[in-house]
Amino acid sequence: MALFQSRRSRHGFELDQPNMTPMMNLMVVLIPLLLTSAEFVRLGVIELNLPPAAAGPEGKELAGLPVETFQKLDLSVTITDQGFFISSALAVLRDHAGGPTLSLQNGRYPFAELSETLYEVKQKAEGQYPDTEQIVLLAEPEVDYQTIVSTMDASRMFRKNGELIILFPEVSLSAGIL
Amino acid sequence: MRLQLTSMMDMFTILLVFLLKTFSTYGQLINPSQDLTLPTSRIQNPPEVGLDVTVSREWILVNGKPVERTSELQNPEGYILTGLQTALNQYAREGRRLEEQYGTRFSGKVTIQGDKNLPYRMLIKVLATCGQTDFPNMRLVVYQEEG
Repeated sequence: MALFQSRRSRHGFELDQPNMTPMMNLMVVLIPLLLTSAEFVRLGVIELNLPPAAAGPEGKELAGLPVETFQKLDLSVTITDQGFFISSALAVLRDHAGGPTLSLQNGRYPFAELSETLYEVKQKAEGQYPDTEQIVLLAEPEVDYQTIVSTMDASRMFRKNGELIILFPEVSLSAGIL
Repeated sequence: MRLQLTSMMDMFTILLVFLLKTFSTYGQLINPSQDLTLPTSRIQNPPEVGLDVTVSREWILVNGKPVERTSELQNPEGYILTGLQTALNQYAREGRRLEEQYGTRFSGKVTIQGDKNLPYRMLIKVLATCGQTDFPNMRLVVYQEEG
């Protein structure tokens, strides 16, 4: 019996590189395609709510009940060049000197403090008034758009100790000028 | 001699995965205008389709067509911009006609793009004009802030 080495061991053991070229073709096409359609800045939209007065007749479910039970909160935030004034149908919150509720801090609007204050208001008003979801923003003529958008953000919801707290999600703008 | 492509493939695979992750199925519903910087907001709502009103430096544009000079906003009197109002009324009429004839619902949606430094007195005029015409559903276009 002739002894000879297996013929198999001599073939097929050098590592063959798989043919990458078709894969490369695919990548070269796919990557530019995805790059052109990628959005690097994400856009969003803020929904504006009409002021409650314009949002239709407040007739039906309110009819037949005494007026006092529908005392509304009518919460509003006024943005001025001194800071924020928070006011309701009943009163305007002011600091001790009669200035704004929250004054500017080093020329910047105190958005975090605004959220905190509104959170307090929300906790007190919850369940006592029918409109604890709405808030109206007023601004002085020269207040810029970014400040208004940031104020809307601050009054819509905020994060406290990592927890998301909804404040007054229905934000509307008012044309009235202080 | 063959090209060593393995490392390049690695790179491409990572890029591909990254790009697929950022891929959005919404596509670009709103094209932000070139000469203005939109404000940033923490809102999460995705963009919606609507009639596009842009307040750029020179002109107020409706669907890309200039309808009124932005300098008109400086006029202290009145809240209604006549040029914008005419254009919006035209679009509203067209929308209503389509609703009648073909049943495509006229939503009265309008998306508003404005520069972040636009003062309130100018912004409110645009909003008031939209509200006065048949477009009460206003959306403010903003950049989404991360986090």
